[in-house]
Amino acid sequence: MPRSTPEPSLTSHRVASSSGTLPARVVHPAGRSNLPPLVVLHGISRNADELVELFRPEAERSGRVVVVPHFSEKCWPTFQRPCRAARPDQALLALLSHLAVIDPAFAGPLDVFGHSGGAQLAHRFAMLFPHRIGRLHLAAAGWYCLPDTSMAYPYGLGADATPGALTWARRHSQALPAYLRLGVQVYVGTNDTGRDDSLRTGADVDRIQGRDRVARAETFVERFRAAARARDILPDISLTRLPGVTHDVAEAIRRADLASLVTAGGRTPFAAAS
Amino acid sequence: MTQDLLAPLAAAKWTFATRRVDRALIAGMDTDFAAARAGDLILAQIEAIGKHQCVQLTSGRPSNIFAGDMIVLACGARYAPDQFEGLAEIDPAGADLLAGGGCIGRMVARNERVKVATRLLPIGRLLDAAGRPVNLDRFALPASNRSDEIPVVVVLGTTMNSGKTTATAQLALGLRRAGYKVAALKGTGTGAFGDFNQYADTGAHWVADFTDAGMVTTYHEPLERVKAGLRCLLGHAAERGCDIAVMEIADGLFQRETGALVADPWFRRRLSGLVFACGDAVAAAGGVAILARHGLRPDVLTGILSCSPMAMAEADAATGVPVLRKSDLSDPAEANVFALRALVGERKAA
Repeated sequence: MPRSTPEPSLTSHRVASSSGTLPARVVHPAGRSNLPPLVVLHGISRNADELVELFRPEAERSGRVVVVPHFSEKCWPTFQRPCRAARPDQALLALLSHLAVIDPAFAGPLDVFGHSGGAQLAHRFAMLFPHRIGRLHLAAAGWYCLPDTSMAYPYGLGADATPGALTWARRHSQALPAYLRLGVQVYVGTNDTGRDDSLRTGADVDRIQGRDRVARAETFVERFRAAARARDILPDISLTRLPGVTHDVAEAIRRADLASLVTAGGRTPFAAAS
Repeated sequence: MTQDLLAPLAAAKWTFATRRVDRALIAGMDTDFAAARAGDLILAQIEAIGKHQCVQLTSGRPSNIFAGDMIVLACGARYAPDQFEGLAEIDPAGADLLAGGGCIGRMVARNERVKVATRLLPIGRLLDAAGRPVNLDRFALPASNRSDEIPVVVVLGTTMNSGKTTATAQLALGLRRAGYKVAALKGTGTGAFGDFNQYADTGAHWVADFTDAGMVTTYHEPLERVKAGLRCLLGHAAERGCDIAVMEIADGLFQRETGALVADPWFRRRLSGLVFACGDAVAAAGGVAILARHGLRPDVLTGILSCSPMAMAEADAATGVPVLRKSDLSDPAEANVFALRALVGERKAA
């Protein structure tokens, strides 16, 4: 008789922090590999439940624990970046500390994946806390914090007169060498070229980062490489273009195996990587 | 007869400074108080209540004290500008409770704003079965050769009550929140559970002070012994798997042991980060200037100063050193700046 593949179990958690409460669901594969846990961050559609289902088969296949936090609109109207109004980074740290009590694997570096607004949070979290990151997977971020001073924070690490900009730029800058040593995989759909309401636009961001998510991903990868090389760091970053994919994480997973690429652990063998 | 002499020990209040003592080793007492040295355990009776109306118990709670109470504490000196200066000397006719954590000695100076010291009647010096005085140093953690393995952020200040303990605790909290195993240590000062408990409340992975290195206070201890204590604490923090230590050094830069440490090349080399706590902008400028003479520059200023936005702005303008509030220090994004700087191992000279 064929043996059925055991279904990964799911647990739910709610963790309080000084910044607010963050619920999360954790997918536990029946057979654990030695790959680090993977944190999956949703975008502004806040489709945490859908991401649980989309990553569940890959969690089982790869043997990795997958954590999917849910930043609800009610509790987290802003979650894409740490700022005065919201500290999703603190909530995420508190969640990881809580999970580390249950599972020591969470005490070490973790892989983090984010899509859209989740990718924004993912790379900013990595800039602040690079020691908590194993490999970083960024899919279709609308815009980035460039690792240089070409733009003022939060678009880059320059400082302007905005309250708090200097503080945040300083905090991010201190961790920059460690951040630039991280392995980073950037993904973007080749059809993710729309300029809809969810894409931040403006003269400076359009001019410096690009007019759409494809151009902005390319800019980010270039700037990351340049910043690393300027510090004698060999950059480990690549861009994977997902053929025919728009700004839709479910489509990216179903059509271009994005979840599989992310959970595989190492560098992607995807042909379109550059 | 010996049994009768020791009977009061069972009912006595054992102070926090005696927390590491193995009471089973105590087999007798003498009254050779002239021979008492710092760290020797003393049984004393409360004679008259003064400044201290409580002692701190080994259990971590305060206990009210009343005339006639028996307490066990350690002979020691004290340096506390807001309270007393005292020496590790015991007059058989009467001694002073120099610190509620359990320090008996002779008061030689008193801040005019505080009452006279609570008076103690020395009953006996505790001895082991061989007739040797039982001293706290017998119960110290063993020396460790791993002290160089852990980076340490040191917290200095202008004086007692300038905000060092709060800064130490808040930074430990921020580092713990950032995912580090943190040791929160008090390197010098007088043994008491206030600071110890404040550190422990942050969830620091390991908390210890100089009493764990065998001293009731570090005042009037030789510099080499104080440094050995710091090495001991740092080494044990490393052995316990801590990633980073935050260490408070008591009192102000002009205090005897603190000044000696700041002037010590080993101590300066050991700093991975430096926080300076002070009360106002002028104190900040003075502290930064004094530290500069030793080739040190604080990474941040904090303390009572940081309660006032105006004082913060003045200090920033006068020194160019960022001023952080306690909520900044406990912010993992800010605390991680210290950790990353410490783990990279680079420090700017003044």
